[in-house]
Amino acid sequence: MPWSNQGGGPWGSGGGRGPWGSGPQPSGSQPPDLEELLRRSQDKLRTVLPGGNLGGKGILLIALAAILIWGFSGFFQVGPNERGAVLRFGKMVRVVDPGLNYHLPYPIESVLTPPALRVNKIDIGMRVIEDRRGNTIRDVPEESLMLTGDENIVDVDFSVLWKIKLDGVVAYLFNIQQPEGTVKAVAESAMREVIGRSEIQPILTGARQNIENGVHDLMQRVLDHYGAGIEVTQVQLQKVDPPSQVIAAFRDVQAARANAEQQLNEAQTYSNTVLPQARGRVANITQAAEAYREQTVAEAKGQTSRFLQVYEEYKKAPEVTRQRLYLETMERLFSGTDKIIVDQGVSSGVVPYLPLDQLTRPQPPRPTPPTGGTR
Amino acid sequence: MRLNLAGGLVAVVVLVALVIAYMMLFSVHQTRQAIVLSFGEPVNVVTEPGLHWKYPWHSVIHVDKRILDLENPAQEVIASDQKRLVVDAFARYRIKDVLRFYQSVGSINAANMQLSILLNSALRRVLGEATLTHVVRDERAQLMARVRDQLDTETQAFGIEVVDVRIRRADLPDENSQAVYERMKTERQREATEIREQGKQRGQEIRARADRDVTVLIADATATAERVRGEGDGERNRIFADAFGRDPEFFAFYRAMQAYEAALRSNDTRLLLRPDSEFFRFFGDPTGKARNAAPK
Repeated sequence: MPWSNQGGGPWGSGGGRGPWGSGPQPSGSQPPDLEELLRRSQDKLRTVLPGGNLGGKGILLIALAAILIWGFSGFFQVGPNERGAVLRFGKMVRVVDPGLNYHLPYPIESVLTPPALRVNKIDIGMRVIEDRRGNTIRDVPEESLMLTGDENIVDVDFSVLWKIKLDGVVAYLFNIQQPEGTVKAVAESAMREVIGRSEIQPILTGARQNIENGVHDLMQRVLDHYGAGIEVTQVQLQKVDPPSQVIAAFRDVQAARANAEQQLNEAQTYSNTVLPQARGRVANITQAAEAYREQTVAEAKGQTSRFLQVYEEYKKAPEVTRQRLYLETMERLFSGTDKIIVDQGVSSGVVPYLPLDQLTRPQPPRPTPPTGGTR
Repeated sequence: MRLNLAGGLVAVVVLVALVIAYMMLFSVHQTRQAIVLSFGEPVNVVTEPGLHWKYPWHSVIHVDKRILDLENPAQEVIASDQKRLVVDAFARYRIKDVLRFYQSVGSINAANMQLSILLNSALRRVLGEATLTHVVRDERAQLMARVRDQLDTETQAFGIEVVDVRIRRADLPDENSQAVYERMKTERQREATEIREQGKQRGQEIRARADRDVTVLIADATATAERVRGEGDGERNRIFADAFGRDPEFFAFYRAMQAYEAALRSNDTRLLLRPDSEFFRFFGDPTGKARNAAPK
């Protein structure tokens, strides 16, 4: 520390406390060497007064010392996030930057040091309560419930960040009575105005950015109109919900959307199952038909080619071949069937009475015959 | 001794000068303005901040010249459509004519009370001519401007300029809020039902469409299949006709032979034959003279 042990320092008689030696406060702070000065002057007084002849000089010295102390009381410090506004007999005369500064001592000049660079935050619709466990948020419904343009009610919590304008220190200090309260009142009013212009659906779903911008612009316009010297840096929507009384109904709408989606998906699944199956069946049917066609044609070709073969031979010897074919066919035919040969001469009388059914059935285990005896 | 005397003299002069200065000078703060009174009679108004002088017998009254707050408690207003609103407004004003202000109301507290009453009646008057939707949605800014103008006109007499009047809250009273909640609830229920039913409907549509597509696919396929089968049959007929047309008579015979064989092959056929059929031509006569008709 360059100033830690530096008796004297750049401000000479300011003593060994540091570069800001005398407490920097505007209201007449005393240099630390006051006591020493006093003691010295008292010593001088003691040495002088008893003599009596040098009393005037002593008084002069005391007066000088007092003037010196008074003069030093004009030093003041402006913190890194502050600006200093110096008033002479109450009239603003200059603005000074952070660091060590000097103004003429009281009552001629005085200084105000507002936190010009600090960003302030105001919560509306909620209060953040800090305790040992951390921050808990308490809702303030009378601030957060507001009417929308379509006569619904929403619950809106938001925060406003603001600071003093770069060139607005003077305006901030001297134009309005309660900057903080004014920012809050204007913020509430602006938010309700913007919400009042909108409908509930967009407020709840997508229009956050629009609302924030709208409130920001409106607030800035009003504050500029007041000449407040305040800049609204940001409007942050914290929570935008339906009121607690109806939030269940709103959630049910979300659930309904999910249900509808589910219905759709199920139907798609059904469709995706049924259609491929149908296409499979289509393939079956068409392929079967193709097969039938091929088969039919092939059979026809086979049969005709057989016929043609035979026909070729037949053409060479028609009578014989025909005879042969006939006999061969009859042979195959008769060899596999029961035959009864009835001479025409006798048959006319007998045939109707023959129990043809029972004649020479080879070996069926004869059931009870319905009609009379047989052989 | 002479020095002492001189010193004392100087001190006394300085002291007297300071006292006179104290009595004749006064400072006005940047945020204030001042009225100089001579035994209660206003003689001067100072709006410039800084150091000013007066006669020692004058007294000074300081008055704020910043923009001042007026917070108005919430009150119920009936809009022109008979709907009730709880309106909470605030005003921002400035003391413009300090002398008139001092003479008519005197202090800021008294001014606030006066203004509050005037603001209330201006609000009732202006908002009473508008409907609820106008207050909430359509004409909020215009209505606030109108209240401000009316209030400003009325407060001219107090030396006050009304900078702004803003409606902070314009809400429904509690009982009406309950009704709104009920309405919101039923609206949402309606919406939820609608969404669900629409979902079902669209599901049905998709299913029906799928079923339709299936039916059409199968029908188309069947049609194609029939056509293909027909082609096959036609082709067969053509082939047969082609081949058999060469000798219909022989074909008839040949086909008949095949048909007999196919039709009569099984064991359950029993034939009753006459020995004079063609097959038995040689049965009773090796020469085959006894001719007769075709087999039976």
